[in-house]
Amino acid sequence: MNTLNTLFSEQNILLNESISSQREVFIKIAEHCVSNNIAISTEELIQALEEREVQSTTGFIDGFAIPHAKSSSIQIPSALIITLSEGINWNSMDQKAVKFIIALLIPENAEATTHLTALSNISRMLIHQEIRENLLAAQNKQQILQLINESIVSI
Amino acid sequence: MSKIKIIAATGCPTGIAHTFMAAEALKIAAKKLNVDIKVETHGQVGIQNELSKQDIQAADGVIIAADKDVFADRFKGKPVIDVPVAKGIREAESLIQAIIDGKAPVFKDSKNDASSEESEEYTSGNSFGRAIYKHLMNGVSHMLPFVVGGGVLIAISFLFGIHSADPNHETYHPIAKFLMDVGGIGFQLMVPILAAFIGDSIAKRPGMVAGFIGGMMASTGGAGFLGGIVAGFLAGYVIILLSKLLSGLSQSLEGLKAIFLYPVFGILITALCMYFFVEPMTVINEGMKTFLSNFQGANPIILGLIVGCMSAFDMGGPINKAAYVTGTALLAEGNMYFMAGVSAACITPPLVTAFATVFFKKYFNQSERNAGLINFILGSTHITEGAIPFAAKNPIVVIPILMLASSISAILTYLFNVQVPAPHGGFLVLPVVTGAFQWVISILIGSLVGALAFGFARKISAQKKDRENNLKQSA
Repeated sequence: MNTLNTLFSEQNILLNESISSQREVFIKIAEHCVSNNIAISTEELIQALEEREVQSTTGFIDGFAIPHAKSSSIQIPSALIITLSEGINWNSMDQKAVKFIIALLIPENAEATTHLTALSNISRMLIHQEIRENLLAAQNKQQILQLINESIVSI
Repeated sequence: MSKIKIIAATGCPTGIAHTFMAAEALKIAAKKLNVDIKVETHGQVGIQNELSKQDIQAADGVIIAADKDVFADRFKGKPVIDVPVAKGIREAESLIQAIIDGKAPVFKDSKNDASSEESEEYTSGNSFGRAIYKHLMNGVSHMLPFVVGGGVLIAISFLFGIHSADPNHETYHPIAKFLMDVGGIGFQLMVPILAAFIGDSIAKRPGMVAGFIGGMMASTGGAGFLGGIVAGFLAGYVIILLSKLLSGLSQSLEGLKAIFLYPVFGILITALCMYFFVEPMTVINEGMKTFLSNFQGANPIILGLIVGCMSAFDMGGPINKAAYVTGTALLAEGNMYFMAGVSAACITPPLVTAFATVFFKKYFNQSERNAGLINFILGSTHITEGAIPFAAKNPIVVIPILMLASSISAILTYLFNVQVPAPHGGFLVLPVVTGAFQWVISILIGSLVGALAFGFARKISAQKKDRENNLKQSA
């Protein structure tokens, strides 16, 4: 799956970050995106992520959250994974602290491309309990990548 | 007992995460509870896994889990649960259980009567014929603004003088040429737009693309209005066929299909077919024109009857447009007699309803009387569609009356040898009409005869109702 490899790379997986708030997570996402040429403006990206959060929470269950943004600042459709050493408050659906964050980044004028379908499939995948468990149990970047690739193909 | 069938639609504003999570959650829950489910997703990539009319008809219940409009009107009359998308993710099982237990309320249309009439129109009768008609009318309704806009501009250009757009003529005026050119562009796009939106109605955007190109071929090849209709349907069904052929490809190639495969192969196949169709269609088109224009000299009464009946039969629909487009084509060849009859026949139906509401006030309600007044304006500007609301209420009685009235107007117009050089505009173009006085008289006679007939038809049906009511009361 070439599509997924360009969406997901080890470079876009950050493990065991010590971050203590949702806002800091957004800053982290934005800074990473700008330094990797995924987005051009940190301010705009942070604002887009926060605006989406105001509409309704992106916190899911079992410690997962899927913040996402559609913004003209974003240049390449991408996904970014951040895991946290300590869970943080995300107003999630089951009110559990969030440790596993998958950020989905969509350019403003995104056409119906394979990238978008792949991004939607990531969200789809998280509904499956065993996939969530496996992701939480994964030890390193390779394992996470492999899990995602297998899971997306299988659903 | 067969399995319970549930359909669902999910959607969220960004359309990348929750839409698909809710869809997945519903599918898992359905599997667990042993029911069939089909979930339509309204995401960033567009609508996927779209629910067909058959799906909706066969469903035992509907779950809407969406924070955006998913066109709920189509679920009218079904048990429907309507919740935010987050509930679809978190409580998928209990939502499905509620449908199984028959706890979902039956969905009622929140909108006004007009839309329910429309949906009834789509469900009653022969569904295939209805679908064809719907596709055709989608094309015609998108084409119409081009015809009206272009036609009125051309008509205005004639106000400077019949030949004022010709740089070599002594009456030349640059504004007239500008108006004529711009209006002409509108007219040139008429057939391609028709084909494009027939294709769009059948197969969405890919159908529109192939239809546009097929329509352009029909237009430049001389296959006219009929060629455009063929191109539109051809394009639509070519895309449907392509989507069947390509359905084996993996879901991840969906984007490639939309942006590459459909346009390239859709256009190619449609254009290849059109390449062979254009010539016979052109022959038919020319044949029809010759057939109609031959009557002009030989028998103005029969010609008026044909034109009148065609124009009033569907008031702006395909049959009306066939007569109209023939008129414009002949006009382009310098025949200004034919168009005069067509215009008269198109102007008459709204005027019939307008006069009827004035002379027979008490048999029309207030909103009909208001519509009647507006129809004086619509009729005078050649917008036949104004009569549709009146005809729609009782087509079997009203349409023959309108056909009669239009025929009278057209026959008299041909007998008086009126010449109308403009393709649209109604009475706005009177200054350039040769025999303007006779033309207006012809139209008024037709309209008044129609108005009398329409008014009496209303009176008779009102009296019948009264009698029935009296009988009921005395019984």
